[in-house]
Amino acid sequence: MRELLRRYRFLLLAVILVLGTVVLYSYNLRQKTATTFFERAVLTFASPFLSTLDNAVDVTTAVWGNYLWLVDTRQRNIKLENENQQLRAQLQQVQEITLQNKRLRDLLNFVDELDRAALPAQVIGEDASNWARTIVIDKGSQDGLSSGLPVVAAQGVVGRIIKIAPNSSRVLLITDASSAIAALIQRTRTRGVVRGRGDDLSIEYALRTADIQVGDLLVTSGMGGVFPKGLPLGTIDAVKKDQFGLFQQVNATPTIDFSHLEEVMVIVGEDDQ
Amino acid sequence: MRGFFLFLLVGIFFALVQSGVLPLFLTPNWRPNLILILILYLGLSENLVRALVAGLLLGAIQDSFCGPSLGLYISVYLIIILVTRLLSDQLNIESPPLLLLLIAGGTLLQNFLIGFYLTVFAEAAPVLHTLLPAIPQQLLTNMVTALLLLIFLLRFQKLFGYRSGLAGLIYQSKHHGT
Repeated sequence: MRELLRRYRFLLLAVILVLGTVVLYSYNLRQKTATTFFERAVLTFASPFLSTLDNAVDVTTAVWGNYLWLVDTRQRNIKLENENQQLRAQLQQVQEITLQNKRLRDLLNFVDELDRAALPAQVIGEDASNWARTIVIDKGSQDGLSSGLPVVAAQGVVGRIIKIAPNSSRVLLITDASSAIAALIQRTRTRGVVRGRGDDLSIEYALRTADIQVGDLLVTSGMGGVFPKGLPLGTIDAVKKDQFGLFQQVNATPTIDFSHLEEVMVIVGEDDQ
Repeated sequence: MRGFFLFLLVGIFFALVQSGVLPLFLTPNWRPNLILILILYLGLSENLVRALVAGLLLGAIQDSFCGPSLGLYISVYLIIILVTRLLSDQLNIESPPLLLLLIAGGTLLQNFLIGFYLTVFAEAAPVLHTLLPAIPQQLLTNMVTALLLLIFLLRFQKLFGYRSGLAGLIYQSKHHGT
Protein backbone atom coordinates (compact mmCIF):
# COMPACT_ATOMS: atom_id res chain seq x y z
CA MET A 1 0.00 0.00 0.00
CA ARG A 2 2.79 2.34 0.98
CA GLU A 3 4.58 1.35 -2.18
CA LEU A 4 1.45 2.09 -4.19
CA LEU A 5 1.04 5.53 -2.61
CA ARG A 6 4.67 6.36 -3.22
CA ARG A 7 4.35 5.24 -6.79
CA TYR A 8 1.26 7.32 -7.59
CA ARG A 9 1.76 10.18 -5.10
CA PHE A 10 2.03 12.83 -7.69
CA LEU A 11 -1.10 11.67 -9.43
CA LEU A 12 -2.96 11.49 -6.18
CA LEU A 13 -1.82 14.94 -5.09
CA ALA A 14 -2.95 16.32 -8.40
CA VAL A 15 -6.37 14.72 -8.15
CA ILE A 16 -6.81 15.91 -4.57
CA LEU A 17 -5.85 19.45 -5.49
CA VAL A 18 -8.14 19.51 -8.49
CA LEU A 19 -10.99 18.12 -6.43
CA GLY A 20 -10.26 20.61 -3.65
CA THR A 21 -10.41 23.52 -6.02
CA VAL A 22 -13.57 22.18 -7.58
CA VAL A 23 -15.13 21.87 -4.14
CA LEU A 24 -13.97 25.35 -3.25
CA TYR A 25 -15.37 26.72 -6.45
CA SER A 26 -18.63 24.85 -5.92
CA TYR A 27 -18.86 26.22 -2.43
CA ASN A 28 -18.17 29.77 -3.51
CA LEU A 29 -20.71 29.55 -6.26
CA ARG A 30 -23.30 29.42 -3.51
CA GLN A 31 -21.74 32.31 -1.59
CA LYS A 32 -21.63 34.92 -4.34
CA THR A 33 -22.08 37.97 -2.17
CA ALA A 34 -19.86 36.90 0.69
CA THR A 35 -16.29 38.14 0.73
CA THR A 36 -13.80 35.62 1.90
CA PHE A 37 -10.98 36.45 4.18
CA PHE A 38 -8.55 35.98 1.37
CA GLU A 39 -10.36 38.20 -0.95
CA ARG A 40 -10.65 40.84 1.72
CA ALA A 41 -6.96 40.61 2.49
CA VAL A 42 -5.97 40.92 -1.12
CA LEU A 43 -8.22 43.84 -1.68
CA THR A 44 -6.98 45.56 1.44
CA PHE A 45 -3.42 45.03 0.48
CA ALA A 46 -3.84 46.05 -3.16
CA SER A 47 -5.98 49.08 -2.55
CA PRO A 48 -3.24 51.67 -1.80
CA PHE A 49 -1.17 50.44 -4.69
CA LEU A 50 -4.06 50.58 -7.09
CA SER A 51 -4.95 54.00 -5.86
CA THR A 52 -1.42 55.29 -6.24
CA LEU A 53 -1.11 53.73 -9.65
CA ASP A 54 -4.39 55.21 -10.74
CA ASN A 55 -3.36 58.66 -9.59
CA ALA A 56 -0.06 58.35 -11.33
CA VAL A 57 -1.77 57.38 -14.56
CA ASP A 58 -4.16 60.27 -14.19
CA VAL A 59 -1.35 62.72 -13.55
CA THR A 60 0.67 61.37 -16.44
CA THR A 61 -2.30 61.52 -18.77
CA ALA A 62 -3.08 65.02 -17.63
CA VAL A 63 0.50 66.22 -18.01
CA TRP A 64 0.71 64.61 -21.41
CA GLY A 65 -2.61 65.87 -22.58
CA ASN A 66 -2.45 69.36 -21.09
CA TYR A 67 1.22 70.28 -21.35
CA LEU A 68 3.06 67.98 -23.73
CA TRP A 69 0.70 66.79 -26.49
CA LEU A 70 -0.69 70.19 -27.54
CA VAL A 71 -0.71 69.79 -31.29
CA ASP A 72 -4.43 70.65 -31.72
CA THR A 73 -4.89 72.92 -28.76
CA ARG A 74 -3.94 76.22 -30.43
CA GLN A 75 -6.10 75.49 -33.44
CA ARG A 76 -8.98 74.48 -31.21
CA ASN A 77 -8.49 77.58 -29.12
CA ILE A 78 -8.61 79.81 -32.21
CA LYS A 79 -11.64 77.93 -33.51
CA LEU A 80 -13.45 78.24 -30.18
CA GLU A 81 -12.61 81.93 -29.90
CA ASN A 82 -14.00 82.49 -33.39
CA GLU A 83 -17.10 80.54 -32.51
CA ASN A 84 -17.41 82.54 -29.31
CA GLN A 85 -17.17 85.83 -31.19
CA GLN A 86 -19.72 84.68 -33.76
CA LEU A 87 -22.10 83.59 -31.03
CA ARG A 88 -21.67 86.91 -29.22
CA ALA A 89 -22.37 88.79 -32.45
CA GLN A 90 -25.43 86.64 -33.08
CA LEU A 91 -26.61 87.23 -29.53
CA GLN A 92 -26.25 90.99 -29.96
CA GLN A 93 -28.13 90.78 -33.26
CA VAL A 94 -30.91 88.84 -31.58
CA GLN A 95 -31.09 91.42 -28.78
CA GLU A 96 -31.15 94.23 -31.36
CA ILE A 97 -33.87 92.46 -33.37
CA THR A 98 -35.86 91.89 -30.19
CA LEU A 99 -35.75 95.59 -29.37
CA GLN A 100 -36.58 96.53 -32.95
CA ASN A 101 -39.43 94.05 -32.90
CA LYS A 102 -40.86 95.70 -29.80
CA ARG A 103 -40.56 99.17 -31.32
CA LEU A 104 -42.23 98.02 -34.54
CA ARG A 105 -45.04 96.33 -32.60
CA ASP A 106 -45.67 99.57 -30.71
CA LEU A 107 -45.60 101.43 -34.01
CA LEU A 108 -48.03 99.01 -35.65
CA ASN A 109 -50.39 99.15 -32.68
CA PHE A 110 -50.31 102.93 -32.88
CA VAL A 111 -51.05 102.93 -36.63
CA ASP A 112 -53.76 100.26 -36.24
CA GLU A 113 -55.64 102.70 -34.03
CA LEU A 114 -55.57 105.27 -36.84
CA ASP A 115 -57.41 103.04 -39.32
CA ARG A 116 -55.30 104.42 -42.15
CA ALA A 117 -52.76 102.77 -44.42
CA ALA A 118 -49.18 103.44 -43.38
CA LEU A 119 -45.75 102.64 -44.72
CA PRO A 120 -42.87 101.83 -42.34
CA ALA A 121 -39.55 103.59 -42.92
CA GLN A 122 -36.12 103.74 -41.36
CA VAL A 123 -34.40 106.97 -40.35
CA ILE A 124 -31.12 107.09 -42.32
CA GLY A 125 -29.88 110.62 -41.79
CA GLU A 126 -30.29 113.87 -39.93
CA ASP A 127 -30.03 117.51 -40.84
CA ALA A 128 -26.56 118.75 -41.77
CA SER A 129 -27.05 122.02 -39.91
CA ASN A 130 -27.48 122.76 -36.22
CA TRP A 131 -30.53 125.01 -36.56
CA ALA A 132 -32.90 123.05 -38.82
CA ARG A 133 -34.65 119.93 -37.56
CA THR A 134 -35.15 117.45 -40.38
CA ILE A 135 -34.48 113.76 -40.86
CA VAL A 136 -34.03 111.57 -43.93
CA ILE A 137 -36.01 108.33 -44.28
CA ASP A 138 -35.33 105.42 -46.62
CA LYS A 139 -38.62 105.53 -48.57
CA GLY A 140 -39.41 107.82 -51.47
CA SER A 141 -41.56 108.37 -54.52
CA GLN A 142 -40.88 104.81 -55.77
CA ASP A 143 -42.63 103.57 -52.64
CA GLY A 144 -45.64 105.76 -53.31
CA LEU A 145 -44.74 108.65 -51.03
CA SER A 146 -45.26 112.30 -51.86
CA SER A 147 -44.60 115.68 -50.29
CA GLY A 148 -46.88 116.68 -47.44
CA LEU A 149 -47.59 113.20 -46.10
CA PRO A 150 -47.63 112.99 -42.29
CA VAL A 151 -45.02 110.92 -40.49
CA VAL A 152 -45.66 109.40 -37.07
CA ALA A 153 -43.96 107.18 -34.51
CA ALA A 154 -45.37 105.07 -31.69
CA GLN A 155 -45.24 108.01 -29.26
CA GLY A 156 -46.86 110.58 -31.54
CA VAL A 157 -46.33 112.94 -34.46
CA VAL A 158 -42.86 113.13 -36.04
CA GLY A 159 -43.49 115.66 -38.84
CA ARG A 160 -44.31 115.75 -42.52
CA ILE A 161 -42.47 115.03 -45.74
CA ILE A 162 -41.09 118.15 -47.41
CA LYS A 163 -38.67 116.79 -50.01
CA ILE A 164 -39.05 113.64 -52.01
CA ALA A 165 -36.55 111.58 -54.00
CA PRO A 166 -37.04 108.15 -55.64
CA ASN A 167 -35.58 106.24 -52.69
CA SER A 168 -35.53 108.70 -49.82
CA SER A 169 -37.46 111.60 -48.34
CA ARG A 170 -36.72 114.52 -46.05
CA VAL A 171 -39.10 114.97 -43.13
CA LEU A 172 -39.59 118.32 -41.40
CA LEU A 173 -39.82 117.58 -37.69
CA ILE A 174 -42.42 119.28 -35.53
CA THR A 175 -39.56 120.85 -33.54
CA ASP A 176 -38.27 122.78 -36.57
CA ALA A 177 -38.80 126.53 -36.34
CA SER A 178 -40.67 126.59 -39.65
CA SER A 179 -43.13 123.88 -38.58
CA ALA A 180 -46.63 124.90 -37.53
CA ILE A 181 -49.44 122.45 -36.67
CA ALA A 182 -53.00 123.10 -35.58
CA ALA A 183 -53.39 121.55 -32.15
CA LEU A 184 -55.63 121.40 -29.11
CA ILE A 185 -55.26 120.65 -25.44
CA GLN A 186 -56.77 117.20 -24.97
CA ARG A 187 -58.34 117.93 -21.56
CA THR A 188 -59.99 121.27 -22.28
CA ARG A 189 -60.10 121.23 -26.12
CA THR A 190 -58.39 124.64 -26.18
CA ARG A 191 -57.09 125.39 -29.66
CA GLY A 192 -53.71 126.75 -30.68
CA VAL A 193 -50.90 126.48 -33.18
CA VAL A 194 -47.85 124.42 -32.23
CA ARG A 195 -44.54 125.77 -33.48
CA GLY A 196 -41.11 124.20 -33.18
CA ARG A 197 -38.37 125.82 -31.12
CA GLY A 198 -35.47 123.50 -31.90
CA ASP A 199 -35.74 121.12 -28.97
CA ASP A 200 -39.22 121.91 -27.67
CA LEU A 201 -42.55 123.38 -28.80
CA SER A 202 -44.44 126.60 -28.21
CA ILE A 203 -48.20 126.98 -28.46
CA GLU A 204 -49.28 130.17 -30.16
CA TYR A 205 -52.69 131.79 -30.16
CA ALA A 206 -53.81 130.06 -26.96
CA LEU A 207 -56.28 132.53 -25.44
CA ARG A 208 -55.29 134.06 -22.13
CA THR A 209 -58.55 132.93 -20.55
CA ALA A 210 -58.13 129.32 -21.64
CA ASP A 211 -57.55 126.68 -18.98
CA ILE A 212 -54.11 125.17 -19.67
CA GLN A 213 -52.10 123.41 -16.99
CA VAL A 214 -48.66 121.87 -16.80
CA GLY A 215 -48.89 118.17 -17.71
CA ASP A 216 -51.79 118.57 -20.15
CA LEU A 217 -51.46 116.51 -23.32
CA LEU A 218 -51.29 118.37 -26.61
CA VAL A 219 -52.81 116.58 -29.62
CA THR A 220 -53.38 117.36 -33.28
CA SER A 221 -56.69 119.05 -33.99
CA GLY A 222 -57.13 117.60 -37.47
CA MET A 223 -57.53 121.10 -38.94
CA GLY A 224 -55.57 121.63 -42.13
CA GLY A 225 -56.04 118.08 -43.28
CA VAL A 226 -52.40 116.98 -42.98
CA PHE A 227 -52.45 115.15 -39.65
CA PRO A 228 -55.28 112.93 -38.41
CA LYS A 229 -57.07 114.23 -35.35
CA GLY A 230 -55.96 113.25 -31.87
CA LEU A 231 -52.32 112.31 -32.40
CA PRO A 232 -50.06 113.19 -29.44
CA LEU A 233 -47.70 116.11 -30.01
CA GLY A 234 -46.31 116.94 -26.60
CA THR A 235 -46.88 117.59 -22.93
CA ILE A 236 -47.28 121.10 -21.53
CA ASP A 237 -44.30 121.97 -19.34
CA ALA A 238 -44.67 125.74 -18.81
CA VAL A 239 -47.56 128.20 -18.80
CA LYS A 240 -47.05 131.94 -18.42
CA LYS A 241 -49.79 134.55 -18.36
CA ASP A 242 -48.83 138.21 -18.63
CA GLN A 243 -51.02 140.89 -17.08
CA PHE A 244 -51.98 142.16 -20.48
CA GLY A 245 -52.35 140.64 -23.93
CA LEU A 246 -54.75 138.34 -25.69
CA PHE A 247 -52.71 135.15 -25.49
CA GLN A 248 -50.73 133.20 -22.91
CA GLN A 249 -47.24 131.80 -23.42
CA VAL A 250 -47.26 128.04 -23.38
CA ASN A 251 -44.34 125.66 -23.91
CA ALA A 252 -44.46 121.91 -24.42
CA THR A 253 -42.06 118.99 -24.56
CA PRO A 254 -42.50 116.69 -27.58
CA THR A 255 -43.74 113.20 -26.78
CA ILE A 256 -41.05 111.82 -29.07
CA ASP A 257 -37.35 111.76 -28.24
CA PHE A 258 -36.06 112.74 -31.68
CA SER A 259 -32.46 111.94 -30.81
CA HIS A 260 -33.38 108.24 -30.55
CA LEU A 261 -35.77 107.99 -33.47
CA GLU A 262 -35.05 104.95 -35.66
CA GLU A 263 -38.31 103.75 -37.25
CA VAL A 264 -41.29 105.81 -38.36
CA MET A 265 -44.57 105.31 -40.20
CA VAL A 266 -45.64 107.43 -43.12
CA ILE A 267 -49.43 107.71 -43.26
CA VAL A 268 -50.34 107.24 -46.91
CA GLY A 269 -54.04 106.35 -46.75
CA GLU A 270 -57.02 108.67 -46.61
CA ASP A 271 -59.05 109.10 -43.46
CA ASP A 272 -61.80 106.45 -43.37
CA GLN A 273 -63.91 108.38 -40.90
CA MET B 1 -9.96 122.34 -62.77
CA ARG B 2 -8.85 119.24 -60.92
CA GLY B 3 -8.75 121.22 -57.68
CA PHE B 4 -12.23 122.54 -58.37
CA PHE B 5 -13.70 119.04 -58.61
CA LEU B 6 -11.69 118.00 -55.58
CA PHE B 7 -13.40 120.78 -53.60
CA LEU B 8 -16.81 119.54 -54.74
CA LEU B 9 -16.02 115.92 -53.88
CA VAL B 10 -14.73 116.92 -50.45
CA GLY B 11 -17.87 119.06 -50.01
CA ILE B 12 -20.15 116.12 -50.78
CA PHE B 13 -18.12 113.93 -48.45
CA PHE B 14 -18.38 116.54 -45.68
CA ALA B 15 -22.15 116.86 -46.22
CA LEU B 16 -22.55 113.09 -45.94
CA VAL B 17 -20.46 113.03 -42.77
CA GLN B 18 -22.50 115.88 -41.27
CA SER B 19 -25.78 114.19 -42.15
CA GLY B 20 -25.01 110.54 -41.55
CA VAL B 21 -22.05 110.16 -39.18
CA LEU B 22 -21.79 113.13 -36.82
CA PRO B 23 -25.44 112.86 -35.62
CA LEU B 24 -24.57 109.43 -34.24
CA PHE B 25 -22.04 110.92 -31.83
CA LEU B 26 -22.79 114.61 -31.36
CA THR B 27 -25.81 116.70 -30.45
CA PRO B 28 -26.77 119.33 -33.10
CA ASN B 29 -25.04 122.22 -31.33
CA TRP B 30 -21.74 120.39 -31.07
CA ARG B 31 -21.58 119.29 -34.70
CA PRO B 32 -18.95 121.24 -36.63
CA ASN B 33 -19.92 122.79 -39.95
CA LEU B 34 -17.27 121.16 -42.11
CA ILE B 35 -18.56 122.75 -45.32
CA LEU B 36 -18.22 126.23 -43.81
CA ILE B 37 -14.56 125.49 -43.06
CA LEU B 38 -14.14 124.33 -46.65
CA ILE B 39 -15.84 127.47 -47.94
CA LEU B 40 -13.51 129.70 -45.92
CA TYR B 41 -10.47 127.84 -47.22
CA LEU B 42 -11.91 128.13 -50.72
CA GLY B 43 -12.26 131.88 -50.28
CA LEU B 44 -8.62 132.11 -49.25
CA SER B 45 -7.02 129.85 -51.79
CA GLU B 46 -8.88 129.84 -55.12
CA ASN B 47 -9.28 132.67 -57.62
CA LEU B 48 -12.48 134.61 -57.18
CA VAL B 49 -14.51 133.20 -60.08
CA ARG B 50 -13.66 129.61 -59.29
CA ALA B 51 -14.27 130.18 -55.58
CA LEU B 52 -17.68 131.71 -56.28
CA VAL B 53 -18.80 128.88 -58.58
CA ALA B 54 -17.57 126.23 -56.14
CA GLY B 55 -19.19 128.15 -53.28
CA LEU B 56 -22.54 128.21 -55.06
CA LEU B 57 -22.40 124.47 -55.72
CA LEU B 58 -21.30 123.70 -52.16
CA GLY B 59 -24.13 125.89 -50.90
CA ALA B 60 -26.58 123.94 -53.02
CA ILE B 61 -25.15 120.69 -51.68
CA GLN B 62 -25.57 121.86 -48.09
CA ASP B 63 -29.09 123.10 -48.87
CA SER B 64 -29.91 119.63 -50.14
CA PHE B 65 -28.77 118.10 -46.88
CA CYS B 66 -30.51 120.43 -44.49
CA GLY B 67 -33.47 122.66 -43.91
CA PRO B 68 -36.64 122.96 -45.89
CA SER B 69 -35.63 125.19 -48.79
CA LEU B 70 -32.93 125.43 -51.46
CA GLY B 71 -31.10 128.73 -51.73
CA LEU B 72 -30.38 129.68 -48.13
CA TYR B 73 -26.86 128.32 -47.95
CA ILE B 74 -26.15 129.27 -51.59
CA SER B 75 -26.68 132.89 -50.66
CA VAL B 76 -24.97 132.66 -47.27
CA TYR B 77 -21.84 131.02 -48.67
CA LEU B 78 -21.69 133.49 -51.54
CA ILE B 79 -21.56 136.36 -49.06
CA ILE B 80 -19.02 134.54 -46.87
CA ILE B 81 -16.69 133.96 -49.83
CA LEU B 82 -16.91 137.58 -50.89
CA VAL B 83 -16.20 138.85 -47.38
CA THR B 84 -13.35 136.36 -46.96
CA ARG B 85 -11.80 137.50 -50.24
CA LEU B 86 -12.15 141.10 -49.17
CA LEU B 87 -10.39 140.40 -45.88
CA SER B 88 -7.74 138.09 -47.26
CA ASP B 89 -6.32 140.92 -49.36
CA GLN B 90 -5.91 143.06 -46.24
CA LEU B 91 -4.70 140.52 -43.66
CA ASN B 92 -1.83 138.13 -43.21
CA ILE B 93 -3.87 134.98 -43.54
CA GLU B 94 -0.79 132.79 -43.07
CA SER B 95 -0.90 133.48 -39.34
CA PRO B 96 -2.54 130.46 -37.61
CA PRO B 97 -4.28 132.55 -34.90
CA LEU B 98 -5.68 134.77 -37.61
CA LEU B 99 -6.93 131.73 -39.50
CA LEU B 100 -8.79 130.63 -36.39
CA LEU B 101 -10.20 134.11 -35.99
CA LEU B 102 -11.36 133.91 -39.58
CA ILE B 103 -13.16 130.64 -38.78
CA ALA B 104 -14.77 132.31 -35.76
CA GLY B 105 -15.78 135.30 -37.87
CA GLY B 106 -17.15 133.02 -40.57
CA THR B 107 -19.21 131.10 -38.00
CA LEU B 108 -20.66 134.30 -36.56
CA LEU B 109 -21.40 135.71 -40.00
CA GLN B 110 -23.08 132.48 -41.08
CA ASN B 111 -25.30 132.41 -37.99
CA PHE B 112 -26.19 136.07 -38.44
CA LEU B 113 -27.08 135.59 -42.11
CA ILE B 114 -29.13 132.43 -41.48
CA GLY B 115 -30.99 134.13 -38.64
CA PHE B 116 -31.60 137.17 -40.81
CA TYR B 117 -32.83 135.21 -43.83
CA LEU B 118 -35.08 132.92 -41.80
CA THR B 119 -36.56 135.74 -39.75
CA VAL B 120 -37.11 138.17 -42.59
CA PHE B 121 -37.88 135.94 -45.55
CA ALA B 122 -39.15 132.65 -44.10
CA GLU B 123 -41.00 134.06 -41.09
CA ALA B 124 -39.33 131.45 -38.95
CA ALA B 125 -38.33 133.75 -36.13
CA PRO B 126 -38.42 130.93 -33.53
CA VAL B 127 -35.24 129.68 -35.19
CA LEU B 128 -33.42 132.32 -33.13
CA HIS B 129 -34.23 130.21 -30.06
CA THR B 130 -32.13 127.51 -31.67
CA LEU B 131 -29.43 129.61 -33.30
CA LEU B 132 -28.44 132.05 -30.57
CA PRO B 133 -27.80 129.64 -27.66
CA ALA B 134 -25.79 127.40 -29.98
CA ILE B 135 -23.31 130.07 -31.09
CA PRO B 136 -20.66 129.53 -28.35
CA GLN B 137 -20.67 125.78 -28.93
CA GLN B 138 -20.56 126.28 -32.70
CA LEU B 139 -17.62 128.69 -32.38
CA LEU B 140 -15.67 126.28 -30.23
CA THR B 141 -16.40 123.17 -32.29
CA ASN B 142 -15.71 124.87 -35.63
CA MET B 143 -12.41 126.34 -34.42
CA VAL B 144 -11.22 123.07 -32.91
CA THR B 145 -12.22 121.14 -36.05
CA ALA B 146 -10.54 123.69 -38.33
CA LEU B 147 -7.37 123.49 -36.24
CA LEU B 148 -7.36 119.70 -36.42
CA LEU B 149 -8.00 119.73 -40.16
CA LEU B 150 -5.19 122.26 -40.68
CA ILE B 151 -2.74 120.23 -38.62
CA PHE B 152 -3.77 117.07 -40.45
CA LEU B 153 -3.42 118.67 -43.89
CA LEU B 154 -0.06 120.28 -43.17
CA ARG B 155 1.38 117.12 -41.64
CA PHE B 156 0.23 114.83 -44.40
CA GLN B 157 0.37 117.17 -47.39
CA LYS B 158 3.12 115.11 -49.02
CA LEU B 159 0.80 112.12 -49.11
CA PHE B 160 -1.78 114.15 -51.02
CA GLY B 161 0.77 115.21 -53.62
CA TYR B 162 0.94 118.93 -52.86
CA ARG B 163 4.37 119.70 -54.23
CA SER B 164 4.28 123.46 -53.88
CA GLY B 165 2.36 123.53 -50.61
CA LEU B 166 -1.28 124.08 -49.80
CA ALA B 167 -2.91 126.76 -51.87
CA GLY B 168 -3.31 129.95 -49.87
CA LEU B 169 -1.01 128.68 -47.14
CA ILE B 170 2.32 128.65 -48.93
CA TYR B 171 4.44 129.81 -46.00
CA GLN B 172 2.95 127.32 -43.57
CA SER B 173 3.24 124.52 -46.11
CA LYS B 174 6.94 125.23 -46.55
CA HIS B 175 7.34 125.50 -42.81
CA HIS B 176 6.00 121.94 -42.55
CA GLY B 177 8.37 120.52 -45.13
CA THR B 178 6.87 120.89 -48.58
